[in-house]
Amino acid sequence: MVKKKVAKFLALRYKILALIFIILAGGLVLLPKYKKHEGIKPEELLNNVINPERYISTDALAHKIISKDPSILLVDVRSEEDYNNYTISNALNIPFSKLLNEENEIYLNQDQYDLVFFSNDNFYADQAWILCNRLGYKNIKVLEGGINQWFLTILNPPVPTENMAAIDFEQYNFRKAASMHFGVAYPEQTKEVKEPEVKAVPKKVVTIEKKKEVPTEGGC
Amino acid sequence: MKELEKTKRISIATTLFILVVLIGVLSFKRPKNLYSFNTVETLEKIGAENLFVTLEDINNPDFVLVDVRKNYNFDRGHLENAININSAAILDDENIDIFKELQNTNKTVVLYGKDPEQAIAPYMILYQLGYTNLKVLPVENSYNQNKLITKTVEVEKYANDINGFIAESIKKSAVVKKPKVEVKPQPKKVITIEKKKAAPTEGGC
Repeated sequence: MVKKKVAKFLALRYKILALIFIILAGGLVLLPKYKKHEGIKPEELLNNVINPERYISTDALAHKIISKDPSILLVDVRSEEDYNNYTISNALNIPFSKLLNEENEIYLNQDQYDLVFFSNDNFYADQAWILCNRLGYKNIKVLEGGINQWFLTILNPPVPTENMAAIDFEQYNFRKAASMHFGVAYPEQTKEVKEPEVKAVPKKVVTIEKKKEVPTEGGC
Repeated sequence: MKELEKTKRISIATTLFILVVLIGVLSFKRPKNLYSFNTVETLEKIGAENLFVTLEDINNPDFVLVDVRKNYNFDRGHLENAININSAAILDDENIDIFKELQNTNKTVVLYGKDPEQAIAPYMILYQLGYTNLKVLPVENSYNQNKLITKTVEVEKYANDINGFIAESIKKSAVVKKPKVEVKPQPKKVITIEKKKAAPTEGGC
């Protein structure tokens, strides 16, 4: 009896094995779920995100732009409209909503340039940075405070009061020079030029007075 | 006889293979936190959503305030009914359980920090893990004599008209230039007239 049963089972053994393989193959259907799990692990991403190393200060950026650092590439993540209105010199425009479009990947996924993301604050820039960091893109920084901070520190720096340290004056001088580089004009720039010209005018008058004296002499 | 041995070998090999696969499946450990969205999906979704709530809305019973600042800042002062989950600890087991429970009970998690920027990191990470019941409270928190001062701020607002500022600065410095140009011709004119006057007196003599 037992032998018969075993023989029956053995006759079916290939079918049973084939069935098990089909079931295992069915497991593959579940795999596409893991496609969503692209990029680095959430824990790793969290570690990167809470690290403030990604921020670059407005002063450091201004210094890099003025010294024509070739490794830096500015990326404006605001809308095209905002970009056309005002942007930091030579910035590239990749609107946040188009960040992950294929044509932008060559800019983001490379290791030749240090990208600097900026927006009005650093809110959108941070969001963009987090998405790029998850994908493992390296060499991306975020301008701390964005364009608003850029305006407040570089373009329109607060004048230090007399009781502040010498460092503050040095910083102010740098920022003022930087702001001139970015197109801001100061009244004292032109004042210095004005003074010598004013002096030149009375000189002319003096020489003419001499001429007056000459004709009266000739008259007598 | 030979054929029987061959089939035996095949079945032994397949059983072993299935055993290996089964062991692999059973010993596979699912990662604790899995993304629910890939980056492109995330970008689309957060672009379409309004992620902010206002300070007036936070009394809504469906909202749960989560303070993502450090513990000692939270102890110094926090918004009413807020719970403290520091952004560095959002993926800890007990905190993930809190977020799961809030999601299951259809509550909305309202994140806030020292400034809106502080809330982005936990927002983005939790969102990508599939917790879509998230909002950010755009406030700035500061202290005045140990009293918490909460101020609403507008996020991503173009605060200063920079083009206007630059144009204004150029105008300001240019205004000084203009009178110089006007001053020059005037004395010249006077001079030429004086010369003429001098000439007739000469002829008179």
